[in-house]
This record gives sequence, C-alpha cells and structure tokens, in this order.
Amino acid sequence: MSEARTPGPDQPLIYQVRIKGHLDDDWNDWFGGVSITPEADGTTLLTCHVADQAALHGLLRQIRDLGMPLISVNQIEP
Amino acid sequence: MSTQILATKLYTPPSRPGIVLRPRLIDRINAGHQGKLTLVSAPAGFGKTTLVTGWITAGERPAAWLSLDEGDSDPMRFLAYVVAALQTVAPQIGTRIMSLLESPPPPPIESLLTSLLNEIATMPHDLTLVLDDYHVLDSQQIDEILAFLVDNQPPQMHLLITTREDPRLPLARLRARGQLTELRAADLRFTPDEAAEFLNHRMGLTLSPEDVVALEARTEGWIAGLQLAAISIQTSDDTSRFIQSFTGSHHFVLDYLVEEVLNHQPPHIQDFLLKTSILDRICGALCDAVLHDAGHSSQHILEYIRQANLFLIPLDNERQWYRYHHLFGDLLRKRLQQAAHVDVNELHIRASQWYEQHNLRSEGIHHALIAEDFGRAADMIELEWAYTHSTSFQSRGQLVWMQALPESMFRNRPVLSAGYGWVLLDFGEIDAADTHLCNAERWLAPEAQADDVVSERIVADDVAFQHLPATIAAARAYLALAMGDIPSTIKHGQRVLALTSATDHHQRGMASSLLGLAHWSSSDLEAAFQFMTDGMESMYRLGNVPFALSNTFGLADIRLAQGRLLDAIGIYKNALQVAESQPFTVQGVADLFMGLGDLHREQNDLEMAREYLQKSETLGKQAGLPDWRVRFCQAQARMKQVTGDFASALELLNEAERLYYATPVPNPRPIAAARACVWIEQGQIDKALSWAHERGLSFNSEISYLNEFELITLARIHITQYEHNRVQQSVDEVASLLGRLHDAAETNQRMGSVIEISILQARLYWVQGDRDIALTMLQRALQLAEPEGYVRVFVDEGMSMKAMLSEALTRGIRPAYTQKLIAAFQPAHRQPLVSQPLIEPLSERELEILRLVADGLSNQEISQYLFIALNTVKGHNRNIYQKLQVNRRTEAVARARELGLI
Repeated sequence: MSEARTPGPDQPLIYQVRIKGHLDDDWNDWFGGVSITPEADGTTLLTCHVADQAALHGLLRQIRDLGMPLISVNQIEP
Repeated sequence: MSTQILATKLYTPPSRPGIVLRPRLIDRINAGHQGKLTLVSAPAGFGKTTLVTGWITAGERPAAWLSLDEGDSDPMRFLAYVVAALQTVAPQIGTRIMSLLESPPPPPIESLLTSLLNEIATMPHDLTLVLDDYHVLDSQQIDEILAFLVDNQPPQMHLLITTREDPRLPLARLRARGQLTELRAADLRFTPDEAAEFLNHRMGLTLSPEDVVALEARTEGWIAGLQLAAISIQTSDDTSRFIQSFTGSHHFVLDYLVEEVLNHQPPHIQDFLLKTSILDRICGALCDAVLHDAGHSSQHILEYIRQANLFLIPLDNERQWYRYHHLFGDLLRKRLQQAAHVDVNELHIRASQWYEQHNLRSEGIHHALIAEDFGRAADMIELEWAYTHSTSFQSRGQLVWMQALPESMFRNRPVLSAGYGWVLLDFGEIDAADTHLCNAERWLAPEAQADDVVSERIVADDVAFQHLPATIAAARAYLALAMGDIPSTIKHGQRVLALTSATDHHQRGMASSLLGLAHWSSSDLEAAFQFMTDGMESMYRLGNVPFALSNTFGLADIRLAQGRLLDAIGIYKNALQVAESQPFTVQGVADLFMGLGDLHREQNDLEMAREYLQKSETLGKQAGLPDWRVRFCQAQARMKQVTGDFASALELLNEAERLYYATPVPNPRPIAAARACVWIEQGQIDKALSWAHERGLSFNSEISYLNEFELITLARIHITQYEHNRVQQSVDEVASLLGRLHDAAETNQRMGSVIEISILQARLYWVQGDRDIALTMLQRALQLAEPEGYVRVFVDEGMSMKAMLSEALTRGIRPAYTQKLIAAFQPAHRQPLVSQPLIEPLSERELEILRLVADGLSNQEISQYLFIALNTVKGHNRNIYQKLQVNRRTEAVARARELGLI
C-alpha cells in the first residue's frame, strides 16, 4: 500500500454506517451533516465525513441514544 | 464549591398503574441480591427504568435512587449525590463525608469511599443503590469509583445500574464469580403475551391476536415502539388501516410513530411538546415563560400530556417538576430543529431568564451558552464567580463555563477577566492566567478612567469591581510565589493587605499565608511566623479550618529552626485540639500527629514518638495533606535511624524522593542530604562524599537558609572521615565553614541550627585534641538545648559525642542534662528486626492486624480503628491464618507469640 493511501491517525475519514429501518433526509441535521440513503432491504446507509475517531464515536452514540439497531460500520476510500 | 443537591435527581419515579407486571424479571432482580451487581443494560426505550421502579414498588428492599446526568462526571459531585441518595433510605449515613466534600481542599476519593462503606457496613438492614442512566457519564474516574465500590461493598449493599451501554467494570470477573445479574435487551423485550396484555389490557385497546402479533413483530417487542403504537391507535379513527400501513412501512419505528402521535394532537399541544423539549426539567411556570402563550396554561397542558401517556416522567410527588423520557425528548428536539418558524435560541434565552429570576444561576448559564447569548452568560458567570470566590475556591465547572465563552468576551470585562485568571491559576495554567490578569489590570490604569473608555467597560458585579485591585494583587502574589519570585510575592501580598478591609478574611488570609511563605523562604523567620499566624487567624474567622490548620506546619517548622522545640510541640498540640473538636476528620490531622511524633523522637521519648507516628500512618491516607506521604517517610526514616535500622531508613528516603514534588513551601532539609546523613552513620563516607560532590557543595559555598543543612552535612562528612582515618586534610577549611555557618545562623536567630553547628565544632576540636575549646563549644550547645529538651541531636552524632559528654560531666558542666544524654546512648533502643520463620512472611498490615487481634479487638473494632472495610479485615485474617497454618483467632495469637512475631 502506498503511503498516500494510508490515512494518518488524525486525517478526516469517511465512514458508512448501516442501520435497520428507513430514515428520511430530514435527519441530516440531527446527525450533523450525513448523507442518508434508504436501501431496498429496509436498511439505511449513513455516509459521513468525520474528523477523527472521537467524532465517529459521537455519531455512534447518537445512534445508540435513538435505539436504532446498528448493522455495520465501514471505512471507505475517499 | 459545595454541591447543591437537586431533590428531583433522587426521586424514584413512581410505578404507573398501567404497567405490565413482569414477575419473571422481578424474580431475577431479587435473586440477584446474592451477588454484588445487577446490570440492566439495553438500548433506549426497553423499559429499564420502568422495570426497576416496578421492582422497588414491589418493595422487598429499601432502594436509594439516583438519576444521573452529564454533570455527575465530576467525582466530587457524583459522590455528593451518591451520599444524598443513600440518605433517602438511611438518613444517618455519610453526614461526615458530606461536610468533608464541602470543605476545601477535597480529600482523596478513596478515603471517602472507604469511610462511606464502613458506615454502610454498620447498617442493620440491606439497601440497594440504583444508578439510573449510567451511560450519560463518560469518565474513567467515575468508572474507577464504581469498581472500587463493587470490590469493597459490604454484604448489606447491592448496586443496580441501568444503562444503554455496558459500563467499564470488571464484568467478566464478576460474571465468573456469580456476582453479576444481567438483564439485557433479549430479556426486556415484550414477549407476545406481554405485548397482548399491554395493548389490550393496560392501554385499553381491543386488538385481534393477529394485530397484536403484527405489532409485536414490527416493533420486535421494543416497548417504546409498542407504547407509541398504542397511543396512535387510541387517537386514530381506523385501527386496521393504521396497523396495515405501520407494519407495511420500512420506516424507523419511532420516527414513524412519533409523527403519527404528534399529528393526532391539537396544534397547541404539538407546539408545547416541541418547544419545551429544550428543557432538561420542566414545570408549569418555566414552560409559561418559555412559550409566551397567554392562551393556554402550561400546568393544564402538562396534566393532559401526563394522562395521554406521552412519556412524561414525574420528578417529585407534588406534580410540579417533570421531564420527558430521554428517547421521546430526543425525537421532539429533532423535530424542533426542523421547525423553521421557531427561533430556538429565543426559547433558550427565555429559559435562561426564568432560571436567573429563580436564583438557579447554573441552569441560567447553561441555556445562555446554548443560545450563544454570550453577553448574558458572561454576566451570570461573573456574578457566580464573585459569589463563590469570597467564600471558597474555584471549581472545574467554572473553568468549563469560562472556556465556553469566546476570548473577545473577556476583553472589556475586568471582573470576569480577573476571575478567569484566578480559576486558571487554580488549575495550574500559569501563562493563560497571566494574560487574563494583565487584561483586567488595563481597566484599573489611570488612562482607563476617561469617560469614553469607561463607557466600554462591562461590569456585572459592581462590588467585585471595587475589590478588583486587591483581587488582582492576591492573584499576582500567588503567581509570583509559584514562579519562585520572592520579592514580587512580598510586594503584591503587601498590596492586598493595604487594599482590603479587616473583614475580607478570604483575601487577607490568603495574602498573609503567601507572605509568610515568602519571608520564610528568604529566611526572615520572625516576619514569616507573624504572617502565618495572621493567615491562620483569618482562615479561622472565615470558618475554613483545614486551610487555617495548613499554616501549622510552617509555624512549627519555623519555631524548630529557631531552636524552640517546646513551642513547636505546643503549636502542634493546639492545632490538634482544634482539629479534634471538629465534627469530621480534618484534612491534615495525620500531618499533625506526624509532626508531634518527630518532635518526641528528638526528645528521645520514643514510645510516644512511635504512637504518634502510628496514628499518623493509620490516618494518613484519609486525613493527610497531599504531600503527607513524602514527609511521613522522612520522619519515619529518622525513627529507623534511631533504632539502627539504616536499610529501612534509606528505603523510606528513596520512597520520599520518588514521591516528592516542589511546592511553594520552603524545603530547608532536602531528602538527599538526609540520606547522606544515614550513609555517614553507616560509615559509607565515600557515598556521602560523592553526593556532596554532585551537589557542587564546597567549603566556600555561599550560605543561605535553604542550603544551610546541606553545608552542615558536608562538614559532618569530613569530621567523621577525620575521626576514622586521622588524616589532617582540609580541617582548616571545615573549621572556617562551620564558623561562617555559626555566624549566619546566630545573626538570623536560627538557634536550632546554632545547636547543631556548635556540636560539630565541638567534635572537630575534640578530634584535634583541643579539648578545652571543644567543651566550650559543647557547653554553648547544651545551654541552648537543655531548656527545650533536645536529646537526639547530641546522641545521633555517635560515640565521640559520648566521650565528650562524659568529660563534660567530669568537669561538672550541666550534670543533670549530660547524665540524661549519656543514658540515651544505651543500646536498649536499638530493637532487633523481627525475623519471620515463615514460608510466606506476614506483611506489615497483617502484623498490625495480628497485634490488634492479640489486644482483644473484634473484627468490627479493627475495621473502625484502621478505617478499612470489615470484609478487608476478614480477608487479612484469612491470609494470616493461612500463613500461620491455623484456623482461628486464638490459635493465630498463640502461634504468633510462639514465633516471636508479636
């Protein structure tokens, strides 16, 4: 893997968080700017740029507090 | 800062009549009381709190309730609330700890916890401490407190935690030992039967079995979902259509249902729910203030919402304060965010105003900061700081508020800026503190008094502004001392005294103590003594006993340097009397016992010395000042030196050195020099010499009060070496150094040093064979030391001193005293070390407990005497039995006596 492709520990990261159930676009603000994609299998994909790991955990905490079942969290290439 | 306890956080929410009884879960909670911890861990809306309140109502055990919020991440506040919660079921518990929490400086947490657990251990009945919503805390310190509680709680106590995420506790270990009961999402979900009972019986619906199954499947037994569905059905015209579209939708359950529920409410109810969702706690009057809607009474709306089961949780018995279920509140706030026509900031400002009018300034500041109404927040923070500054010390909460303000807010607010300076000082942010003090000072300069400049100035607390010059000067004195700048400390400290009235005990007390330390460091002992006495006096008047007593150590040390041993003992004894008359153990009592022990050692009253040091050690962890251990190790090392146990003395000094940190308190007897003295006694002259070399000490070094002891030690090394090898090397230099030391000490009236220096001069002349001059020197030392009862300062010098004293006795010099000193050379005081003929030797603590057992103390009495939990005593007992290979107390004592261990 070339160095350019390895994000440093504090680089902004892109994550895709999949949760169970459909969410409307209007949840965008609540999560502080994520893009929301409802999928045909009844899940929703939240795609978010987070500053660092702490910000990711903040987002997961918000999901936890709404009782939304979490299915997966993946880091994706920018 | 003392914590204001909100009763609403301690109120157990009543179990509603409409809930589904869940005997299978209640039984598990009851059974769980055999263990230490019950964990109810599941996502939001799974009925955790309802289950636990239902269990409490069923009423098998008294339960103390604490609803946690983010603010409880502060350990002191958390502990205050835990004690307050326990007091709701056991009013006698923890009164001592509460007063300790209110008295700065806060004592070490572990000692408070131990003390609390000991009190619980004496309770006649069991109790359960319920911590609701533990997930809101994100603090390793709180996790550690909880782990300590779980590890050490007496059998009377059980802990129950509800949380949305597993706490960082050693759960695997507790599970393996069968001490953990867990109720998780899978247990809490409604079963199809429970769903049917809930929907048809409790919510009064008449759903077919198929509908119930469909709803149960769609919500997966999630209780919040089922409750919202039931409310929707109650207000819906067409039940089957609702069920069809709900179960056919892929929408996130709650999002779908809250929409449904809100849409079925009248507009003014919808409006109310959205707008009041910004409040953590709600009451009618507060809602009226936030809504500004004369058309409807908030009190009536709250009653309606409560009856409609819209997730309103009462916080008291008077139906005055409520909160929304956190999950429902989140969903309402999300909707409020999207309601473009609502000015949310304006709502927060109204809430802030209401709280301010009702003297709830912290909440007022909270809402003003959210609304980013920084001017409003700044005014309130300034008032709050000025209010607490005159009576107590700063808190972390104030630091957080001030950090939330933009830097620009401080520019033209002199009082707030000085306040920030003070708070930053207390948290060790020296540079930032200086910046803010400079900014505040700008507003006091003559050119800042011009009308056009004054008009820019913003002051919320006029009285605090009048006192600002003194407030800033006090901060400056503190800052200067922290930087080691003695002249500036004195300059600013004097300014505080000149600027404040006699009744401003806080500022004057602090300034006097700082001035005392500064004069002490610069060797002006009498002035230092006077200032510290004043500082102590002011702190007593303020009612702050711990801070008053903290001056004691300086006062006693100064008297000791002046050779006034009896005065020093008197100072400690007076302080001890004050401390013991307090209703709670004062921080620093352990240090008083240590000081007394050390002075009795000097007088060679070794039995008393041991007793005092023992008391100090017992109390140390719980009632010692922060650097207690450092000084205790040094005192204990001197005691070990007396008994000839040099190895232990060195070990203790090494520990002291490891733990040592610099403070503004002068340190005239450095630990390394004390260690060199042990080496001298051991005959390890080379080691002592290389220490002196590394320190760069020479016979020509300039003398100051702070290096005097090091130079005395240098002379002692050379004299001892000379006594050993009789090589006349650098004798003249040593004599000249001692002469200079003697003059300096005499000039500054440090008679304690004069005694020590005269003794060394006597030794030097004695070894040179100049007996007459030697005895003249010795006579000077005896004359100063006799009235004060000094002994060890002579005896510790070794056998040449014994010979000199015999000669003095022959010549009739102070015969009574010299006889007493010669007698002290008896080797009787050198106790042989106990060697333990055991495979696994007993620890210090185990030996200590064994001695108490031999004295006939019960386990309960031992736990109280040593301030440890009863279970801890029992644990030690088991280890003792095992190591001695016996089965009971009487056998253990007999065996220990047999082995010579006690």
